[in-house]
Amino acid sequence: MHQIIFFVALVWATGLVGISVGSLVTAPSAIKRILVLDTLTLILVAVLALFTAAQRVPYYLDAALVLALLSFVGTLAAARYYGEGRVF
Amino acid sequence: MVQTILFSLADALVLIGVSLITIGVYGMIRLPNLYTQLHAASKAAVLGVIPTLLAAIVTLEPAVVFHALLIGALLLITTPVASHAIARAAFLRGERPGLPDDGDRA
Repeated sequence: MHQIIFFVALVWATGLVGISVGSLVTAPSAIKRILVLDTLTLILVAVLALFTAAQRVPYYLDAALVLALLSFVGTLAAARYYGEGRVF
Repeated sequence: MVQTILFSLADALVLIGVSLITIGVYGMIRLPNLYTQLHAASKAAVLGVIPTLLAAIVTLEPAVVFHALLIGALLLITTPVASHAIARAAFLRGERPGLPDDGDRA
């Protein structure tokens, strides 16, 4: 039962990643693309956390930490460049 | 006994988290405005990621707890900053939120 719930949640979250990639491709503007990319990284962090809990392997959380940090810095730089024309 | 309670708690947290992420993605796709899409995506997605991290804490040994708590605190701090940067960039580029009473009502 426990394993089934984790497997179904993993498949569902992977489907959400696919839906987000489709929305990323068909986004109308660059700022919407930045927003969808930020959300996509958040969903990937959730997928890695689910993988950690399902497989009992703790190393995926390191990748999730790095992904969250890089997503924050990338979103901030892209949004500042889009809004003000410069990063710093 | 304790193991059963912990596993049930992890299952409940995973279900809550995945449902909230689903609501966030649906709102991000379906809502009409960039600001409302931002509202749905950032809040619902973060509130969905944190229960899945807590589920990873509940299921595993204490070696993972530090990492999961670190990622949760980091997301709680950084996501409002990123959302504010996105909204500020959209506002600076001239995108205005449509008001609900913008019609021809006197």
